[in-house]
Amino acid sequence: MLDIHINWAIVSLTVSSGVVLLLRDWRLTVPALFINYLSVAWFLDQQQFIAPDLTIGGFSLSTTIVVKVITGFAASAILGITAITFSREYNLEDLDEFSLAELRRAARRAQRQRASEPFRLSEYVVPFWALVLAALASLALPRLYPIGSQTVDFAWYWLGLTGLFTIVIAGDTLKIGLGLLLVVSSIDLVYTAIASTVQVFPLALLSLTTIVLSLSIAYLSGLMYGRLKTLDLSALYKR
Amino acid sequence: MSYALLIAFPVALGASCFLLRKETQLVIGLSVAALMVQLALVLFTPVDQPVRLLGLTLNLDPLGRLFLAGFPAVTALMVLATQRLPQGEHFISIALIIIGVASAIVVLLQEPFVVALLLVSAGLLSVLAIVDLPTGAPTLVAPRVIASALKYTVLMAFAGALAYMGFVLINVYRPGISLDQTAPRLVLALMIVAFGARIALVPFHSWLPDLVEDASPLASAMIIVVLNTTGLLFLISVFQFFPALAAENERGLQLLTWLGALAALVGSCLALVQDCPRRIIGYLVVYNAGMILFGLATTSPIGLAGAVFEALNQALAVPLLMVSLALLEQPDGRLPKTMRRNMLWRWPIAGSGLLGSGAALVGLPPLSGFASKMLLYDIAARRGVFLLILLLGATLLAMLALARIARDWLTGAPEDQPISETPLLLGTTELDLPPKRHLAPEPFIAGLVVLTFLGGILAIGLYPQPLLETITDVIRGLTFVRGES
Repeated sequence: MLDIHINWAIVSLTVSSGVVLLLRDWRLTVPALFINYLSVAWFLDQQQFIAPDLTIGGFSLSTTIVVKVITGFAASAILGITAITFSREYNLEDLDEFSLAELRRAARRAQRQRASEPFRLSEYVVPFWALVLAALASLALPRLYPIGSQTVDFAWYWLGLTGLFTIVIAGDTLKIGLGLLLVVSSIDLVYTAIASTVQVFPLALLSLTTIVLSLSIAYLSGLMYGRLKTLDLSALYKR
Repeated sequence: MSYALLIAFPVALGASCFLLRKETQLVIGLSVAALMVQLALVLFTPVDQPVRLLGLTLNLDPLGRLFLAGFPAVTALMVLATQRLPQGEHFISIALIIIGVASAIVVLLQEPFVVALLLVSAGLLSVLAIVDLPTGAPTLVAPRVIASALKYTVLMAFAGALAYMGFVLINVYRPGISLDQTAPRLVLALMIVAFGARIALVPFHSWLPDLVEDASPLASAMIIVVLNTTGLLFLISVFQFFPALAAENERGLQLLTWLGALAALVGSCLALVQDCPRRIIGYLVVYNAGMILFGLATTSPIGLAGAVFEALNQALAVPLLMVSLALLEQPDGRLPKTMRRNMLWRWPIAGSGLLGSGAALVGLPPLSGFASKMLLYDIAARRGVFLLILLLGATLLAMLALARIARDWLTGAPEDQPISETPLLLGTTELDLPPKRHLAPEPFIAGLVVLTFLGGILAIGLYPQPLLETITDVIRGLTFVRGES
């Protein structure tokens, strides 16, 4: 009988970043990003070189893992709250009549666009094949260019590639942010799991950069929504 | 302690300016004073005395000091110019914080992981300056500005991720021990792509012309001067601390010299075919980025001196270019839709600033870019006549692009001729008469800023020796430099 050992942290990591790549609705992708951060932390916790130095509720954990969970929570919360509120309050009394009219026009245009956008399965064809391509590459690259153990290599290649493809096929600002965060998460994973001497300061700064990145994306998304009433990237280039 | 002060002081002042941002005049005065203090701090900080703080090594080398002294001086002049040029509400506070982050980058160059992340953070911070609007502006942020900011964010985050990945690989790869020949090539490729995206090297340049076209000129200048230049220092320090990257990549570096020259040529070609003056200027900076990469990739004392000098030249020429551009775009009293083709005669100081800075950027004598370009041509000639032809061709095209700006915008005849006065007829009211022309004079302080920059560029061009000696001294101590001297 075959003894198959399933690493559930890897499964969770793979599925959650796949959801970010495949789906468009932020109500699913932002929680998936948070699950992804939890999975990365879980996966790193399995690595022997990260020694537990904290006890929380009977669980022995490493500070590094706790920091990663907090970072993931912060980044996901920033994007989630932005997606819920989606507005940057312009000081309407400061605006001239042309700007006010432009805001009204943008709101009408966005409303029309939303009304004429039914669910189409064809929109998921490119993300699906991107997912397949990422899966194939993540299975092949650890054999061609191994850096650490095969599991670690698969995890960081998968995260990096799904992040990259998410950015490439993204149709809105928030999704670009999710892709960038996946790429950063991939680099974070590879550094924590492979670097011969993990230094505290770069790790702390990487967490800070992750939060600043999500703040930047949140700010730009809010600004764009406040201005164009949509996050659709094509609206940025309409004359 | 003084190293920590170099970082903390501008950041603290930036936070103060943020709180006072509605008081424009006060903030301008405060920030100029703070930048002068920062300049003094840099000049009095001892060099090459490494200290440990929070487990990190802090050090300031003479080259770092040269750039760190340049940043506050140039920024102070730009801030002075904001008295008459409309700027984002947070421009000054962001500029001060960026100076603080740039100081952190320069003194932490021995900590590559930290520096890679600081560069990303500084890039993300500058996004706020790109989309910023003046206090109480009655207009909305243009969609194209948001697009440029988004493009910049994505590319800078990618550049940071690639550089970080490069350092992880360096950490894994043991130079001289590992038999794997792919690793050093891969690391060099990652570093060059990260560096290329940061300094807008062809083909990673698309963010820069968009930024120059859409963002406010001074925000663009801040990004190009401070962040792009620290990117160069970062790459030099990478080669310095990991000399195996250069030693084990002889062919890769040769290829990079060609890529640098080609990037310069493509950048200048693209500058020539643009219609918008702002985009032409953006592509002139892209051309310059190619020249800098060429000099750096030669890893020779002459080439490296040329690249560093060129970066210094860019740090002076680009702010002058942007201040002059912002001035020339100001309404001068003519009707908004009037074509303005006589700006050199109309506002001679701003017009001269634009021409002078453009000439410095393409390396015309007797301006500061001439010495650096001569060094680059010298090393190109030693490496082969084709390389020299490529560089000279790129410069020639860049000059033509500059001449186009001058023809279309600066030296033409005025399009709106004064209307001869017609005798008043019976029943004519004031409303029937054309509006009186009140052509505004050139703004005094902004003009003074332009003249100061022009003087600096001219002085360095006429007497480059002290700067060159400092640069050459530093380069002599770099371990990866070899070849022609």
